[in-house]
Amino acid sequence: MTVSQIRWITLTVSFFVLSFGGLAALSLGNFLPTFSCFYVESRSGTCFLWVLQHLLDHGYWEAYKSLGKYLLYFSLLVIVIGRAWCGWICPLGFFQDVLDLIRRKLHLGYISFPEELRAQLSCVKWIFLFIALLIPLWVSFPFFGKSIAMDLRQPFCQLCPGKYILPFILGDTVDVAVNFKSTTTIIMSVLGLIFSGVVIFGALLKRRFWCPYCPMGLFLSFYKKISFIKLKKDCQKCTMCGICYNVCPMEIKDLLTERKNEDVTFTDCTLCLRCVEYCPEDETLRATFFGRTIYKSSSKGFFSRQHITSGFPEEKHQVVSEPYQ
Amino acid sequence: MMLAELDNNSNLPAGIYYFINIMRDAFVKNQVRRYRQLQGRDNRKIIGTYCITVPEELIYAAGAIPVRLCGGSYEASCIGDELVPRDTCPVVKASVGFTSLNPISLYQMCDAVIVSTTCDAKRKLGEELSNYTEVWMLEVPHIKDTDGSRRQWIQQLYTLKKNIEKLTGRKFIGRRIRRKALEDSIGIINRARYQARRLYEIRKSPAPVILGREAMLAINAYSYDIAFEWTRAMSELNDELEALYHKGQFVCSEYTPRILIAGSPMIFPNWKIPSLIEEMGAVIVTDETCMGNRYLYDPIGTTEKSVKDMMVGIAARYLMPCVCPSFTPNEDRLYRLLQMAEEFNIDGIIYHVLKGCVVYDFELIRVEKIMKEKNIPVLRIETDYNPEDIEQLRTRIEAFIEIINSKKRKMKEA
Repeated sequence: MTVSQIRWITLTVSFFVLSFGGLAALSLGNFLPTFSCFYVESRSGTCFLWVLQHLLDHGYWEAYKSLGKYLLYFSLLVIVIGRAWCGWICPLGFFQDVLDLIRRKLHLGYISFPEELRAQLSCVKWIFLFIALLIPLWVSFPFFGKSIAMDLRQPFCQLCPGKYILPFILGDTVDVAVNFKSTTTIIMSVLGLIFSGVVIFGALLKRRFWCPYCPMGLFLSFYKKISFIKLKKDCQKCTMCGICYNVCPMEIKDLLTERKNEDVTFTDCTLCLRCVEYCPEDETLRATFFGRTIYKSSSKGFFSRQHITSGFPEEKHQVVSEPYQ
Repeated sequence: MMLAELDNNSNLPAGIYYFINIMRDAFVKNQVRRYRQLQGRDNRKIIGTYCITVPEELIYAAGAIPVRLCGGSYEASCIGDELVPRDTCPVVKASVGFTSLNPISLYQMCDAVIVSTTCDAKRKLGEELSNYTEVWMLEVPHIKDTDGSRRQWIQQLYTLKKNIEKLTGRKFIGRRIRRKALEDSIGIINRARYQARRLYEIRKSPAPVILGREAMLAINAYSYDIAFEWTRAMSELNDELEALYHKGQFVCSEYTPRILIAGSPMIFPNWKIPSLIEEMGAVIVTDETCMGNRYLYDPIGTTEKSVKDMMVGIAARYLMPCVCPSFTPNEDRLYRLLQMAEEFNIDGIIYHVLKGCVVYDFELIRVEKIMKEKNIPVLRIETDYNPEDIEQLRTRIEAFIEIINSKKRKMKEA
């Protein structure tokens, strides 16, 4: 079984566990580092970003204390598998990968943005993170615009495509509408719906469309230096063939161009390990857990996964000719 | 001459005769029967290519057959001498010579040739060849890793694809390079690469089972053969070599000096350097030339089978890992050489510079510097296709190998 297949199984299982676990009274806590959306009624755990915004806007000492506790649990979870939460568990990631699969089956190519545009867009995730961190503080101490502030509870969640997409695909359309409570809520929900639409169409055209802008992913990447799971590269063995860059759904170019450091777990890396699977050089790319190699690239593996280590091309492509003598 | 020498070696593995016969048919008997058959009966087009940056997948996908034309013949280079500047490298001289007089049918039969703009000489070669045949230029960006050059290169390949489709398409129906055909052609050539890699791995063994000049000839023969036929023969040769290895039938002992050939390509029939090295008692365990290992080493990797993704994969394969010194900066080549020296346990490097091949000569200093740190001696040999300097080269190579031998002896004693 290839690592991609294992990842698909894990993604699917975790999608169903996170989305329907609540029906079986499963509770995984309020500190999950993944989009287990609060607005999904049957969820089995809650996205930490919602909890973070919810507790920040209280303004009580008690709330901050429990936030600290949750942050600790959250950090422990992140340190163990890092951004593998994004590539292997995230329900929104699953949704995007399903759309990706549909596109692939239709043999439509994907879009990739020019490097320059990608660099310019990389600030979006920071903007989202600041929205999630700073507006709740304003809500808790509303020294101006109190009525606006009170309508801005969980501001990022109102913008997050997960809030609209995840309940929608699970058949719950109550929250998937413009919230007419006030001007602020109208603006926020309209923006959120627009983002959701863009993400759905984007995911049909581009691999993992949403992930480069996800503030949760950014948050998880802060732990990459101390995380147990790492992506490593043997820079001397690398032939710079560029396959890793082409197969990377996040289009991380640094992985290809890195020539000095062994650690290549970059900010955007969701640890899907596709690069390791497709690297044709022995032990050039490998994933390590706690310093121990858990998966490594190999020339033989590369060729055997393409089913070309034995046999020859089908007859119809062969040229019938007299034998050489 | 070279072929007769090879033939006389009674220790040749049986699988190698296939490749010797390809060379004999192409250059001695001047027989291109197989190609003629394809052209006549199956109405296939034959497309000549120069340099390893021309994607053969596109040619196969269109139902055409590629032939790599980079010339290695001394006689042809003499003809070319009259037509190009004196300081041009012999590869270009021989290519022009072959095309202008058409002494062998290999060059005559091509319906079009693709020339990529790698080094200066190749760039002008395309212009010269256009006097005799239809030439499509393929512009290769020289700085590989910028986004702009990547996009430009992919664009170039789409243009090339269109050209090939125009040539191979029939009236009214037209023949596009279809998704399935492209997928199959990637599979076909990746199979060839897999076999080439097997040979590469086999040559890592402490005591070699095949001489370098024979292995290099087998890889070189890919230029004048059809990919699946070559793959089949190569797989047989590899099976045979693996069996020899397990039986312990080696061509020389593990104490034989292990040489890496770097630098300008050795193109058959210019086989004088490989023959000299191995006559003088060393063994060529690997090479990094564009007619040898670099030709068929890197595979194409794609995750999905859309034309777009496959084109991106092809574009990356033919540009990124190519460490031809016409690219700049070319640090990658140094890493590659270091890695090869380690993998193959190299004792010395023979750095081959064809007269006029300035780019390879430029990089010699860097190569010498990094190899000095690894304590691996480098011998620079500058020559062309002229057989006159053989004896002089023999003396130099002999001395180089003697130095390595005495060093090895000392190490063994210590």
